[in-house]
Amino acid sequence: MAAADITWPSSDSSSHAGALSFVRALLNILEDTASEKEQLHGAQSAVLNILEDTASEKEQLHGAQSAVLNILEDTASEKERLHGAQSAVLNILEDTASEKKQLHEMQSAVLNVLEDFDSEKHHLEDMKKAVVNILDDLGVEKRQLGERTVQLEAANKELEAFAYSVSHDLRAPLRGIDGWSMALLEDYAGRLDVRAQQYLDRLRSETQRMGRLIDELLQLSRVTRVEMQRQPVDLTALARSTADRLSEAHPGRQLEFLIEPGLTGIADAHLLEVALTNLLDNAVKFTGRRSHARIEVGQAKDQGEPAFFVRDNGAGFDMAYAGILFGAFQRLHKATEFPGTGIGLATVQRVIHRHGGRVWAEAQVDAGATFYFTLGALK
Amino acid sequence: MVNDRVLLLIEDNPSDIDLTKRAFDRGRIGNPLVVAEDGKEALDYLFGEGPHAGRDVSDLPALILLDLKLPKVSGFEVLRRIREDPRTRRQPVVILTSSKEQEDVAKGYDFGANGYVRKPIDSKQFAEAIAQLGLYWLVLNELPPKAKARAT
Repeated sequence: MAAADITWPSSDSSSHAGALSFVRALLNILEDTASEKEQLHGAQSAVLNILEDTASEKEQLHGAQSAVLNILEDTASEKERLHGAQSAVLNILEDTASEKKQLHEMQSAVLNVLEDFDSEKHHLEDMKKAVVNILDDLGVEKRQLGERTVQLEAANKELEAFAYSVSHDLRAPLRGIDGWSMALLEDYAGRLDVRAQQYLDRLRSETQRMGRLIDELLQLSRVTRVEMQRQPVDLTALARSTADRLSEAHPGRQLEFLIEPGLTGIADAHLLEVALTNLLDNAVKFTGRRSHARIEVGQAKDQGEPAFFVRDNGAGFDMAYAGILFGAFQRLHKATEFPGTGIGLATVQRVIHRHGGRVWAEAQVDAGATFYFTLGALK
Repeated sequence: MVNDRVLLLIEDNPSDIDLTKRAFDRGRIGNPLVVAEDGKEALDYLFGEGPHAGRDVSDLPALILLDLKLPKVSGFEVLRRIREDPRTRRQPVVILTSSKEQEDVAKGYDFGANGYVRKPIDSKQFAEAIAQLGLYWLVLNELPPKAKARAT
């Protein structure tokens, strides 16, 4: 403090100076007091500030408390979360176990697949072996087939030789029988009575029948043996020329041929001619008792498949016997009514079958017959 | 103009031989008929060999009637030898046989036959065929000139 600095004024001459010092001191004190007051004010402000600060502290404390509460709350939620996380971890562990199991299963599956693969490989090998065996067998089959073909060719050659021999050798004795019967009739006519001559005539006609049988059998055999050559055939022209030939051969008959124009097929021309000739021959034969024979050749569209037909207005036949119609040596008419060998339709059937076609007939007793045939599909 | 040259029948069936002779007689074909009963005999006759050694081989038949199925040497072989030899290659040869197998007919012409006649079973037709053959080959047809005898 400044009180110590105050020097009070003396009576001496110097008393004026003294007073001055005194004022100065007082002023200093006042100055100091002002400063003190200022400091106090500052302190007061500081206290106020402190108080203010304390309020704020309190507020902060309150906030902190809230915060702690919050933290505690948060902790609870954390705990919950932790619990959740724990569950999650447990779940994950569980999941992992299941994953592991799945992995294991997968591994097993892969192993199985590998095993299967191995077994497949075995299968494949077995299959390969089987295929090789099949190929071997096929080779054997082929060889056997080759042998068969050789055998078949040999059999066919034998058949040809047989037919050739029949053609040459079987006819010669017939010529002898017929020739010497004829010689008897010519050279001994005066010494043979009518009955003897009739017997000789019979001998001759039987011989000639045998000759026709041989010829037709040979034709049947030839139709089987001959190599087929399919080509476009004009059936109209073929039927026409056959019809002309038949008209010439039967000058006493009234034969009307109705042949559809534009009939064509893919066939062996020679074989088809044999078949058509036989069918038209039959038509002429079985219309023998008609004053006016009407013979049609055409193409039918109402038979399920396009079929050629030969139709006549002749004797026909009972459909009950249609089954044996195409068998060799089968006849549906008495020889005295309509002579024949029973080989003609067998030959027709063989020709048609060789073409891969079908042949059938429709007829009615005394109301004519229709023979249908197809020529098969080309491969 | 009927000539007197030989007719050579190459045929092994005795019945056919006699029936052919008979048909010639009845057809009034007067040419001498020589019969060879197998292929070998026919070739011996034509080329003057074996039992026919010394025969004038330039004296060729007016016509040969040749059967195909023959013992020893077949009809086709006989025909081949006839066509192969310059002395006989113009010789008229008609195949007279039982078969009409297409292969026989084709081969016959391929080997140089002048005709192919199938013997019919009907003896009337047979006699007619022989008479027509005689008429055509011995009367109507101009025969090839006689081959010159080989210089010996």
